[in-house]
This record gives sequence, C-alpha cells and structure tokens, in this order.
Amino acid sequence: MAGAFDFAPAIALLPFGSFLVALFLGQYMPKRGALAGIIATVGSLLLSAWVALTVAGGETYNEPVYTFVAMGENPIQFGLLLDQLSALMLVIVSLIAVLVHVFSLGYMNDEGETGLPRYYGELGLFTASMLAFVMSSNLLMAFMFFELVGLCSYLLIGFWFRRDGPPSAAKKAFLVTRFGDYFFLIGVVAVFATFGTAQFAGEESFPHLAELALSGEGQVTTMFGLGAEAWFTVVGLLILGGVMGKSAQFPFHTWLPDAMEGPTPVSALIHAATMVAAGVYLVARIYGFYALLPTALAVIALVGGFTALFAATMGVVKREIKQVLAYSTISQYGYIMLALGGGGYVAGVFHLTTHAVFKALLFLGAGSVIIAMHHNENMWDMGGLKDKMPVTYYAFLSGSLALAGIVPFSGFWSKDEVLYETLVHGIGTDGGLGVVLLLAYAMGLIAVFFTGFYTFRMVLLTFHGKPRSDTARNPHGVHWNVKGPLAVLGVLAATVGAINLVPVHALVGSVPEFLHDWLYYGPEMLNGHHYHELITAGEFGGMSAGELPGLGETGTLFASAGISLTVALAGSALAIALYRGDSPVEHTDRLGSAKTVLFNNYYQDEYQVWLAQGLTMNVARAADKFDQGVVDGVVNGVSSVSLFGGSRVRRIQTGIVSNYATLLTLGLVALLVGIGLMGGWF
Amino acid sequence: MLVELLLAACLVGAVVTFVAPDRVAGKLALGISLLPLVGALYMYATFDGSGNALFGGATMFGENVAWLDLAGYQLSYHTGLDGLSLPLVVLSTVLIPLAILSAWTPIQSRQSQFYGLVLLMEASLIGVFSALDFFVWFVFWEAVLIPMYFLIGVWGGPRRKYAAIKFFVYTNVASLVMFIGFMTLVFALGDSVSSFGLPAVTQAIAAGNLGNVAGVAGSTIALVSFVLMFFGFAVKVPIVPLHTWLPDAHVEAPTPVSVLLAGVLLKMGTYALLRFNFTMLPGVAQDLAVFIALLGAASVIYGALLALAQQDLKRIVAYSSVSSMGYVILGLVAYTQYGLGGATFQMVAHGLISGLMFMCVGVVYNTTHTRMVGDMSGLASRMPYTVGALIAGAFAYMGLPLMAGFAGEFFIFRGSFASTVLPNNGMALITGVAMFGIVIVAGYLLFAMQRTLFGEFFSATEYDVREAAVHDVAPLFVLVLLIIALGTAPGIFFEMIWNASQPILDNVQSGGEAAVESLATVLGGVR
Repeated sequence: MAGAFDFAPAIALLPFGSFLVALFLGQYMPKRGALAGIIATVGSLLLSAWVALTVAGGETYNEPVYTFVAMGENPIQFGLLLDQLSALMLVIVSLIAVLVHVFSLGYMNDEGETGLPRYYGELGLFTASMLAFVMSSNLLMAFMFFELVGLCSYLLIGFWFRRDGPPSAAKKAFLVTRFGDYFFLIGVVAVFATFGTAQFAGEESFPHLAELALSGEGQVTTMFGLGAEAWFTVVGLLILGGVMGKSAQFPFHTWLPDAMEGPTPVSALIHAATMVAAGVYLVARIYGFYALLPTALAVIALVGGFTALFAATMGVVKREIKQVLAYSTISQYGYIMLALGGGGYVAGVFHLTTHAVFKALLFLGAGSVIIAMHHNENMWDMGGLKDKMPVTYYAFLSGSLALAGIVPFSGFWSKDEVLYETLVHGIGTDGGLGVVLLLAYAMGLIAVFFTGFYTFRMVLLTFHGKPRSDTARNPHGVHWNVKGPLAVLGVLAATVGAINLVPVHALVGSVPEFLHDWLYYGPEMLNGHHYHELITAGEFGGMSAGELPGLGETGTLFASAGISLTVALAGSALAIALYRGDSPVEHTDRLGSAKTVLFNNYYQDEYQVWLAQGLTMNVARAADKFDQGVVDGVVNGVSSVSLFGGSRVRRIQTGIVSNYATLLTLGLVALLVGIGLMGGWF
Repeated sequence: MLVELLLAACLVGAVVTFVAPDRVAGKLALGISLLPLVGALYMYATFDGSGNALFGGATMFGENVAWLDLAGYQLSYHTGLDGLSLPLVVLSTVLIPLAILSAWTPIQSRQSQFYGLVLLMEASLIGVFSALDFFVWFVFWEAVLIPMYFLIGVWGGPRRKYAAIKFFVYTNVASLVMFIGFMTLVFALGDSVSSFGLPAVTQAIAAGNLGNVAGVAGSTIALVSFVLMFFGFAVKVPIVPLHTWLPDAHVEAPTPVSVLLAGVLLKMGTYALLRFNFTMLPGVAQDLAVFIALLGAASVIYGALLALAQQDLKRIVAYSSVSSMGYVILGLVAYTQYGLGGATFQMVAHGLISGLMFMCVGVVYNTTHTRMVGDMSGLASRMPYTVGALIAGAFAYMGLPLMAGFAGEFFIFRGSFASTVLPNNGMALITGVAMFGIVIVAGYLLFAMQRTLFGEFFSATEYDVREAAVHDVAPLFVLVLLIIALGTAPGIFFEMIWNASQPILDNVQSGGEAAVESLATVLGGVR
C-alpha cells in the first residue's frame, strides 16, 4: 500500500504546479491564481501532516528520487530525507504558506494590485523551493534549492518593479546572500573532495564519515596539510557562510531590512518560514557535523549572540513598523544560532518553530495595519488602532508577548531554553569554548531587554494612545481573509510553547516535553540524543553541562528562566513607561550621539556599499582602463608597428621607372659582388 | 556519412540562399537550417559510440577516405563524432536556426548574402567539430573566419571595418602559430606517423615516439609545440590577455552574428585546446598546470571585473564570456572526470546561455536603438516577455541551479577543487579564488538589470518601445527551455562527454608519467 512517503514528492510538486498554473493561466482565473496557490499549499500541508504522523509512528525515509548525474562511483542524486526535523519543518512551512496565500487575498487582490498571476506564481515557486530544500537528502540538493529560494525572494522583494526601491532592495538581497553562498559553494565542493559524498543521513553520510575520521576509525582526504579536525572546521565555516547570508547574521544582515520593500505577506513568508529560516535549518540539518567541531560551534554561538544583541539595539529607534520587525527577525535568528552553537539543538529547533509562528503573525498583523493605514508604515502616524481593529490588536498582542518572551506565550519557553542551554554549557565547559558561550549568553541576555523594549514601543505606538493622523482616525477595514490567518496564528503564538514546557516538566514530571522527545528519537545518527553525545564527547564537541553555584540543576533552570523573564519585563516596562498615555513623544534624543549611530544602523550599509561600489567598481574601472590602454594597446601597437613598417617599405614602390632601374642595377651589382666573394673570384 | 550530408545541406543551402531574392532569404535559410538540425538530433538519438575518437574509440556518422600523398604523409578526408564532438555539433545546429530567426528584424539589407554566409559558416563549424584529420580540420578551422569576417565587416556597426580586420588578423596570426606548433609535433614524431590523422598523432605521442630532432630533446619539442598551439587556441577562446579582439568584434557585429560568435566560435578554441593540447600532451599540460590554471582564474576574475566596468549591454555580455570561458580552462587543466567533463559541458551550456543573452540584448536594441545602460529604464513594463527571457538568461549566467550554467560550473568546480595536478592542493586554492566570479557576475548583471529593466519607464531614444514580434521573442524562450532542460537533466550530454573523456585520463595514468618526468628535468627551475 502506498504510504505518506510515496506522496512526499508532491509536497513540493504541488506548489510548483501552482507556480505554472498561476503564471500561465492566472489571468483567466477568478482570483488571479490565488486559488491555485491555496489549493496547492493546503494539499502540501495535508501531506506534510500525514508525513509527520507517519514519522511519529516511528518510520523515517531516506531514498533517492531522481538521478542528477548517473556516472562515477557516487552518482549525484536528489533524494528525500523525511525524519522528525524535516517533517516538523514541512508542517511549519506549508502552514505559513497557506496562511500567507489566504492573507494575500486581502493584501493584494482586495487592494487592486496588478500583476497578480506573477505574484502567485512566484509565491508558489518560493514555497516549492523551500519545501524541496527542507526535504533534501544531501548538501548539493540543499544548495540548489537554497539558491532557488534566493531567486524567488529576489523576484518577490522586487515585485513592485516600477518603483525604484524594490528592485534595489531585491538586488541587494540577492547579492549579499550570494556573497555568503560563494563560501557555501566552496564548502559543498570541499565536502565532495573530502568525503566523496554529500549525503546527510546513513552510514555513508558525510557527518558520519567525519565522526569516524575524528574518532580514528576512518580515513578521509584532508586538504592544505590540515589535520582532520582543523580541515573539517574550515569546511564547516565555509558552509556557515551561506547560512549567515540567508539567515541575515552579522555582517550579512544588511539585506534584510531593505527587503521590507516587498509586499508584506511576502515578508511574512521570507522571515518566518522560508528564506531566512533556510539558513539555520541547514545548521540543524547537518548538526551531526557541527557537533564534532567545537571551534565551529563557538563561532556559531558568538555570531548568534552578537547578532541578537546588535540587531535588537537597532530595533529600538525605528519609526516604520516593518523596520522594527525586520531587526527583530535578525535578532531572533541570532538566538536560534546562539542555541545551536551553544549545544542546544532542541532549543534551536524549538525557537525556530515558535518564531515562525509569532513572526508570521506579527508581519501579517503589520500587514493588516498597513492596509488600514492606506500603506503608511510610519508608527508615529498611527495610534489608537486598538479599538478600530480588535482582532488585529489582540492577535498582534499575542505575537508581541511571544516575541518579548513573556510567560506563558510561546516565545518565552523557547527563548528561555535557548538561554538556559547556552548558560549551562558555558558554565560547564572548560577552556575557551566555555568563555565564548558565556559571552554569547550575556549578549543574548542583554538583547532580551531591548527586545522587550522595542516590542512594546511598537505595540503602544501602533495601537494605543490617540490617533495621530487622519488615516489612523478612519482606518480602512479588513476582511475575513486578513482576520482569519491572524486569528489562527494568534492562538498558536500563545499556545505553541506547550510543545516543550521544559521548566514545567522539571517540576511535574508527567507534563511531557513533546518536542524534546520528538527530536531525540529520530533515525540513527540524526537525532538529538546522538547530537548530545557528540556535543559532550571529549574527542568531539567537548561541552558539558554545569549549573549555577549552589542551585542544582533544577534551580539553575528556574534561575535562568527567572532572570530572562525579569529582563524581558524590565525592557517592556520601560517601553510602557515611556510611550504610554494619549500622546507619546519621541525619546530618542536622550540617546545622544548613540541615536545617530542607531538610526544609521552602525554604518553597516555604508561600508558595504563602499565595498561594492567604492572599491570594486573603482578596481573594475581601473582594470578597464588598463585593458583598453595596456593590453589592447600592445595589440594595436603590434599592428601599428607592422603598418608603419609597411608604409616605409612602400616608399620604395615609387612607380618611377628610373628608380626601379637604379635599384635593379644596384641589386645586380650586389649579387655579383656577393657571388664573387663566395666563389673566390677575387 | 551523416556528417557529410549535414555539410552538403549547409553548403548547397548556402548557394541556394545566395541566389535567392532578399525578401525570401530569411525564411528560406531558416527552412534549410532545420535540415542539419534534424540530422543532428537524429545523430544524437542514434548515437552509441564509445570512447574517445583520438584514442581509437568508436566514432560515428563520419567517413575516412584516402585523399592524397604529400611528402610521405597520407592525407585523408577523415570525419567522425564521439561523445566530445557530438554535443558541440548539436549546439551549432540548434543555435544557427535560432540566430537566423533573430536576424529577421535587424538585417534589412543584402539578406540573401547574409543568410548564405551564415549557412556557409554552419558548414565550417560542423566540419571543425567533426574532422579527425589535421588538414581537413584546418581547412574548416580557417574557413570559419571568412564568413565571419564579412558578417562583421558588412553588416556591423560604425567601427565594423576595424573590428573585422582586428578579428581576422588576430585569429589568423594565432592560426599560423598553432599550425607551426602542430607541424613541429608531427615532424618530431618522425617515422612513427605516416599521416596527419589526429588519432594517429595522438596515439604515437602516447606510445612515447616523440624523439629527438636535430639534437633537440623530444620533451623540449613537446613543450614548444604545446606553447605554440596553446597561444593559437587561447586567442580564439579567448584567454586573458589575448581577449581584446572579442569585445570589439561583439560590439560591432550584428546581434545574430554575436550569438554565433559567443555561442559557437569561442567553443572552437576550447574544443581545440581539449583535443590538441590537453589530449595529446597531457604531460606538458600538467607541468604547466600552475600557469594554465592561473590564466584560467585570471580570465574569470579579470573578465568579470571588466564586465562590471561596462555601460554597453553588449560589452557586458561579451566580457562575461571571457569570464565563463576561464572556468572551462580551469576544468580542462584539472585532469579529473568532473573537470574535463564539466569543461565540455560548460562549452555547450555557455553556448546556449550567451546566445540567449546576446539575443535578448539584440531584441532590446532593435526596439530602443540603444544598448547603453543609462539610456533606458523600466523596460519590464513595456516588453514583459523579452524582459522575462532576459532575467532568465541573466540568472542562468549567474549559475542558478537547475539551469545549464550551474551544472557546468559545479562540475568544473568539483573537478578542479579535487584535482591533484598541483602540489599542496594548489588547484583547490586557485579554484576557490576563481569561484569568486559567481559573486561578481551576479553584481554586474543585477546592477545592469536594475537600471535598465526596472523602475519607471524611460528611454533616451525617440522610438516607440513595445513588445517585439513573435519571431523575435520565440527563439528566446526556446533557449530558456533548453537551458532549463539541460540544467535539470545534465545527463543529456554529460553521459557521452563523461565516456569520451575517460580515455584521456586513462592515458594520463598509464603513459603520461614518463613524459612528465623527462620534461621536469628539462624545465628545471620553471616550477
């Protein structure tokens, strides 16, 4: 009997079909292709759920479905890897995709946008690429769909191509992530050169081969004279380049705020479930490789912690609602990286899950507000929307509480676990890695304060107080197609934390940690248990869990939760104190010169634009001058010399008979003299 | 025999087209050019050759007829296709009808001569890729130049004379140098060969018959003739710094001619490098690998930087060809299955992609009468189909997965990164640097696209800008589909390429060693 796994390819093929249908037939369809997209993504969601249920039944799947290159010892194949991690991600991605499609009816169709067949077509391709990426069974296939995800976000960010902003933002997004993918692609070929295979799972997978090599049971070709661990670390960091590009980690984060130029439903999809999620998902996917490499883990944790803090500080001064959310996205993906680097595989996946829900919610909520505000995104023109649009308000509030990490909303549980895992591994691990983890933890903890602050600043400015503009006084209404997805996500954002109530479980053992159990009992070598062993093994990750002095394990757990909750509440309280009341005022001037720095995003854009335009363009122009002047100059010089030579020789050809007679005579004489000398006449 | 039928169809077709009236010449030439296409597809469908033509593999569709004796050397009319040449023959026969179709709009004078010359060129191209005797091959090789010279010189832009002469003289000098190089090799083989047949020469060298001539060691002769031939072919590819004829020729050539120039003519250079230098003299190639690899990497990066500095869309695409051909060199010198195979695959992939890009630029130029980036913007709202194809072509150029360019580049990268021709993973290092080309190519294409295709519509010229005719746009989408097909199922060509490049590597492993050693002593301190 055909099971869920036999239909799994359809999870990606259905949205791909909707891409073709919407693009070519969308203009003849009632909702311009939206229906095709909705039907396809609902189909994907149902199939994903079926796959997840089958996986829950203890079955997993890792089989090739298409042969890309049949020749050689290791044919390159596209395969599906369906296990606990990918099944979870499939459900998340297809769920968000369905809601985004429905929401688009309100945001795009009802607002009278043109070019909708193209919009829904690209949305379908985007979803299909991401789903195929999630199911990829090897690194090359993952890279290929990773790139297609990048293409789709380019197309969608630049959807409104007639304006100046979106095409520029789209270009930047593709270019910055391409820079990361350059390293990723080197990583892919390095994996092939080192292991001969790029499989994720099984005995012949590269994480497993790396594990064998490091434990002295197998041999691989390392390069550049490096030892196995050093070379693997290099490879891991190369792959991490692609991750940092897509997941907008410092210093590759600059594309993401600009990407807000795209339609808001697209922003929700990009930030919650597709493009940005792809990066960290990849780390989770090959966690068995990174878990072997303490240096790579330290880098991941440090980048994550720093990005979390760095982006959060920029979020506190933004005026546009989507800009706040953009920096919050960067910051939250920093947390996920922090968790993965800090040895918290489950925590990272947990935060990826909750973040997908609440960030999709916040973006769609912001979209609803933007519809109401006639596409004015400036929060200082809003205010008082709470009473006019209650569904949006309460849903948005639910997402905001989750984002700020307030108990019992989903974000609290996941963010707390991220920080807890990093803290205990930081305390327990000796040497540099432990110090790095503690440092990363500290940055993550400080970022919690800023997160609470910018979140509630945003909520208060948008929904509370008195309306500050005419549009805010008479907002545009929104329909069911906007309220429906918000309601679904609003409930989820409040409750989805229940899948992993770690502190509650510690108190009451009968409350299960679903996600922990889910991820711990995956296929051999692909489960959290195995990763935990690798992380803690002395010859690999070398981490160990410690505890705060005198508190014990449970005490540390609650202390950590208490600290992060207190910090989150403090940040939120400060925002409420500053921006409550009917007519809040700006307080950014109190920041002094820091305000300018924050408004300018720490001048990150400036130096990157300088690298691209100031430096590279000038080098290119110099190369062009050199090419025209010197390289081509030599070529033309050679031809000038021969032309000049020719013109001089031509002077002999005067056309005057007496000249020719003279030359003939001279030549004859010379010949005779020559022959005479040779022949010895004289 | 089929090869000869194709050649005859092109030649007869060329004559017929020459004498046909101008107004039907375009349609007539298109119809005629479909014959070789059908023939080539039939050959592809029925191909079951194996091995490499130069190592005695089973070739197909050709003829081998004794022709004449010349100073003890037997000249034969010898043709045949193996897994390396068939893809390029298919590429040529696919691109020619599309180029003819794309010429209907821009070519408005002396059409019968134009299309006649195109068909004449097609015959020469098929000849170059199928000839297996040096003299036959050389005749076709040179014969390509003649129609090309006239196509640029007569139908070209304002500086067409300069560009045509530069192209002709540059490549002709290169041919001369290459000719000397090959002849040196043949004479150094002495009595061990009695013909100029490429298989005979290759196998004689592989058997170690390269002897001393007039006191010069065989290995020195191998080095000299390698360098001479490399120079000759490098001009055609072109490899930096021998590339400056290319942008001039492209800018002045009418678009359909640019399509053929970039799509097929450049591949003559890399194909010949593969057949002559890298197949016949693998020992020298490996000794000089560091220089060749650096030249390849320099072509990639320098070509891409030059493209970045251009404002003329055609120049951008022209320089990016230099960049893409650099990858081919890198793949060839790697001497791995994926390297050699990827290089050959990339020849076909780049042929389709650069053909598509030039055609798109041509359609834009036919409509706006300008090619300068600053002279137009927002074309997407006026000509959506052309722009759609242009975006597809640009992403194919950037190596988007599931399009042909990615497959070619990935194979090359995989092959050259793992190559051991240089000590201390030198090839991996050079490959890693050259791969930065994928970032720069994205840079210049995205910038150019943003400025010309998007934003508010604007055109500095006084023409009515709207979507081009069906016969202008149709070839674009044919190419887009072919690029996607080849990128999704690279095995279409990669399988036969793989099988035909295997003997080259076998030869390196078995016979090549001795040559390398003796040469190393000659070279002394070069490394």
